[in-house]
Amino acid sequence: MAGVANTWGYGAMTNSMNDIRHSKCIFMLGSNAAEAHPVAMQHILYAKEVNNAPLIVVDPRFTKLAAKATDYVRIRPGTDTAFVMGLVNEIVTNGWHDKDFIQKRVAGFPEMCEKASHYTPEVVEDITGIPASEVKRIARILATHRPGTVIWCMGATQHSIGSSNTRALCILQLVLGNMGVSGGGTNIFRGHDNVQGATDMCVLSHSLPAYYGIKDGSWKHWCRVWDVDYEWMKSRFHSKEYMNKKGFTLARWYQGVIQEDKINQYTPIKAVVFWGCASNSQSQYHKLKKALDLLDLVVIIDPFPTMTAAACAKDNVYLLPSSSQYETEGSVTSSSRQIQWRFKVVDPVHDSKDDYWIMNEMVKRFGFHDKFYKNIKKIPDDITRELCKGSLTIGYNGALPERIKKHTLNWETFDVDTLKARGGPCDGEYYGLPWPCWTETHPGTPILYDISKPVAKGGLPFRARFGTEHTYWNGRKENLLAAEGVYNPGSEVKGGYPEFKNIVPGTNWKTDLSQKTIKEAIKRGMAPFGNARARCVCWNFPDQVPVHREPLHSPRPDLVAKYPTYPDKKDQYRVYTRFKSEQRPELVKKFPYVLITGRMVEHMGGGAETRSNKYLAELKPHMYAEINVRLANNLGIRNGDMIWIESPEQGRIKVMAKVTDRVDEKTIFLPFHFGGMFMGKSLEANYPKGTEPYAIGEPANIVTNYGYDIITQIQGTKEGLCQVSKA
Amino acid sequence: MARMRFLCDIERCIDCNGCVVACKEGNGVPVGINRRRVVTINEGRPGERSLSISCMHCSNAPCIAVCPVKAIYQREDGIVLVNKDICIGCGYCFIACPFGAPQFPKGDTFGKRGVMDKCTFCAGGPAPTFSEKERRLYGQNRIAEGKVPLCAAMCSTKALLAGDGDKISQIFQERVARRGTGAKAPGWSVAY
Amino acid sequence: MKFNLTSNHLRVLLYTVFLTAAGASALAANYIILNFGNISTTQAFKAFPFLVSPKWEAYANDFIPFVHAIPGMVWPILVFIPLIFLIHFFAIGPKNFSEDGERILFYGAFTRFFHWINAILFSLIVITGLMIVFSKALGGGGLIQNARLIHLSCAYAFIVTVIPLFLVWLKDMIPMPHDVKWFLILGGYLSKKATTVPAGKFNAGQKIWFWLATVGGAVMFYTGFYLSDITSRPQSELFSLLKIHIILGLFILALFITHLYMSLFAVKGSLKSMISGFKGKEEVKCLHSKMKI
Repeated sequence: MAGVANTWGYGAMTNSMNDIRHSKCIFMLGSNAAEAHPVAMQHILYAKEVNNAPLIVVDPRFTKLAAKATDYVRIRPGTDTAFVMGLVNEIVTNGWHDKDFIQKRVAGFPEMCEKASHYTPEVVEDITGIPASEVKRIARILATHRPGTVIWCMGATQHSIGSSNTRALCILQLVLGNMGVSGGGTNIFRGHDNVQGATDMCVLSHSLPAYYGIKDGSWKHWCRVWDVDYEWMKSRFHSKEYMNKKGFTLARWYQGVIQEDKINQYTPIKAVVFWGCASNSQSQYHKLKKALDLLDLVVIIDPFPTMTAAACAKDNVYLLPSSSQYETEGSVTSSSRQIQWRFKVVDPVHDSKDDYWIMNEMVKRFGFHDKFYKNIKKIPDDITRELCKGSLTIGYNGALPERIKKHTLNWETFDVDTLKARGGPCDGEYYGLPWPCWTETHPGTPILYDISKPVAKGGLPFRARFGTEHTYWNGRKENLLAAEGVYNPGSEVKGGYPEFKNIVPGTNWKTDLSQKTIKEAIKRGMAPFGNARARCVCWNFPDQVPVHREPLHSPRPDLVAKYPTYPDKKDQYRVYTRFKSEQRPELVKKFPYVLITGRMVEHMGGGAETRSNKYLAELKPHMYAEINVRLANNLGIRNGDMIWIESPEQGRIKVMAKVTDRVDEKTIFLPFHFGGMFMGKSLEANYPKGTEPYAIGEPANIVTNYGYDIITQIQGTKEGLCQVSKA
Repeated sequence: MARMRFLCDIERCIDCNGCVVACKEGNGVPVGINRRRVVTINEGRPGERSLSISCMHCSNAPCIAVCPVKAIYQREDGIVLVNKDICIGCGYCFIACPFGAPQFPKGDTFGKRGVMDKCTFCAGGPAPTFSEKERRLYGQNRIAEGKVPLCAAMCSTKALLAGDGDKISQIFQERVARRGTGAKAPGWSVAY
Repeated sequence: MKFNLTSNHLRVLLYTVFLTAAGASALAANYIILNFGNISTTQAFKAFPFLVSPKWEAYANDFIPFVHAIPGMVWPILVFIPLIFLIHFFAIGPKNFSEDGERILFYGAFTRFFHWINAILFSLIVITGLMIVFSKALGGGGLIQNARLIHLSCAYAFIVTVIPLFLVWLKDMIPMPHDVKWFLILGGYLSKKATTVPAGKFNAGQKIWFWLATVGGAVMFYTGFYLSDITSRPQSELFSLLKIHIILGLFILALFITHLYMSLFAVKGSLKSMISGFKGKEEVKCLHSKMKI
């Protein structure tokens, strides 16, 4: 998401699931929507059928999605940037790029082309294993079918160059001029129903809610929203430094306990709370387990005792049974930025309590109950109200709980194609008020950066976020605001303009809680965040233009010298993260196969819930590894045999072999939903009696490798190496 | 009179097994009994296609023809149902069925088969509509409630269609007619 | 793995899918790029029946008339064979032998014990089998389900308890040349006179009954076993098994009735001898003339 946000402003899906129905071409990279997003498939298949849109699937594995593709491209894991930049190069070389769009709304295009020119079809073939003729063919398909949409998921992001991958895909869409139009855009499918909501609330270590960051100004803004004293807030921290220092990430927090890599914090981590989080979805799980056994306190808040609970060998665990989504209510934000109200169906069953209750009791005991619930009288409506009030950056402020409920209760009045209500109580509004929803009467923004509509009716230009002018490395100076003639209908300024500030003195559109600034902008037909160009060059990233870098554990040692990874990062989210020093070209001799992980449709996340469902467990009872027929025959492995898979980090798992053509000869695929076993041993006895899941298996993440993204520190689970042997 | 039918569009079916789980959850079918299942050809290779199958509620159904006690019967709307009070569990219907639809829950003595269980089109059974007995023996009666069967209602890509045969075949025909037109039609890229 | 998949059906299906994938993949080259325009929906549709019910067209057309014909095959046996015996009983009458004089121990205690156990089990199997065949007339439901349960349980018990009897009698049941002569005169049952019949300890009729009940019984058990777990075999094979089960069953039924008639009515004292173990010397000399006393 960082890559996307740094290209044009917001790190979110630009269009919507439903809008895919208007696409003339669908390019899916590192996504297995047929298994991970089955409901989205109805829109994808609709476009494929009705628009006869080519469905191009780029994946190392012949997925169930690939079975529905018109064109399938098998790519070597971790080389997405090379392929996409190759496509960009091919498009530009042939003059298929959208010259008018680029000239008016894109910045840094010549500089980007200069870098992309390295990726000729032949170079791409060498790096990715995709024949040059195919690169040319796919580029031609993309160029001749516009507008096309680009879809990606974890397959693109979980790499050491994950943020480069996402930016390369954004650049592809910019070059094709597919942005801000219906049927185009970058549609990033999020993994759960409320991941976008969780991201917007920044349940992350580097930002306050709504992407405000953790600078002093951000803290002051939110303290104003929460109506608490900034000084009091400061006093809660160990020191002022830690108030503005990014915390540990989900991917590497356990290093704060076991300290294999040097940490930058005054103390090791002593306690951890897993609130609806499956620890077995984190890479190098055997190290995480080590951390669990060193901690003083592990709290697990979940409807099911998760793998985390079973993995703890020490008596330091507390299980708090929380309720499921049907036993509580509140707002959720979907992948398409749409907000929906989830109503309660039944009261929490058994001894479970809903999350609000648990939070309330905890806060009471921490002793700041009065401050925490100052603005919150009615749960959960007032929570939504408070967060909407503060989340001005992403325009949550118009999405009041009453409006959300009205939409949810009248969803039959909305059109499935356009998401717009036709008549009824929500006439003219878009379903779920896709953010930004600037005011209490704003209909929501179904397509980001769409300049064909007035801002008040859901249009937007690109966000002015990166200054107004930049000088590139070659000395060229460029005005970053949009060109003359690029504006939303009804705009006062008929061209680019910077963001709104000082309407209320001392504030800008993001911090003016009175919302006068935003209302003023809308009234003048302009976007509060300005009107700028989207960037092909991100000067705040280590790679200003996305370039290929070999995975840390590369199966191609010959390419490591040519495309080396980044230098080590000393303090990345409080921990030393190895890049260059971890890239060992000789590793492939001992660990010759590439390891990728992914989802299966029957299970979800860490699988605590789905593996405890007898019907789902019946459908997929076993953990397995997909192994190519040819490789299996060479190793003497037959379908259903047990095999050991070992990682360079000494992780090893014993799983069943599924001999299939889905993966190629050099690749092993593992689904990551299993838990309840650990390196060949069953942990079934560790579950509280009667709560053992029906299906248990080895967590795939025991063998996922070291490797993290340079920007976001997302784990690189889609590009490791492993060794396979018969058990 | 409407003639109830299932139709599975294999160009749409993504093998998500949503129909299978919906059926089992909704009707309380025991583990091991598959009123509906998804089969796949060419798994992992080009030409991979999946198909969700259950009882197809055939006209002139072979199961009805072979049932030695006439426990299986067809309603006027074409739905084929089994009377579990009469069924003797002989299994002839399983041999006769081209879709493997009849299912036999395992009993406890020598693995004795129980009576036959199969897709009811979510139309319950011969027991009184909405009665406890109907619910226990046959599952939901969504047809009496005016709803489509659970599997089709749940299908994420609308591959599985259920309802009046004329109507769903019309939907399917419209879908097929639309395929193969548009930008990818022959000559499109070279014309003009 | 903890979860045990109980559905044979699903297992068969999964195996089929895996095997299809594995088998066909031997042909597949190491491809990278694929284009999918060439596999038509119709083609794919045609491929599915092979997964679900292979060769259905080949057997299904025969299966339905066969199932319909079963009761029609069974009732003539139930009616006409007893009728023949009834005529025999009144026209020719049973054989009478003197029970006085020397008596010979014909069946030991061990033999008699197992004979009666098998007799009870076998009768139950035949009766419940007939109930299943005529289930429609009996109304189906719980009654027939219980009959099926008894049919199956008795079969398990029978196949075990028949072994000692089989071993004891095996030596005397080997077919001999004089058995042909026995057949030519139909065991002398068509004559009212007590002629000497060529037979060892057991006559040719008894031998046929023996082999049908033991080896035939084993075949019935084998076929019945797979028919009782229908998901174990493809449907076309199940049909073949059913055919064997029914047709062999017809013969066994016929011989079962014959055996009943012979032991209860045709030879006076026959029943008693199976209880006490002794036969009169006259009877043995006459009906089992080749037996060494």
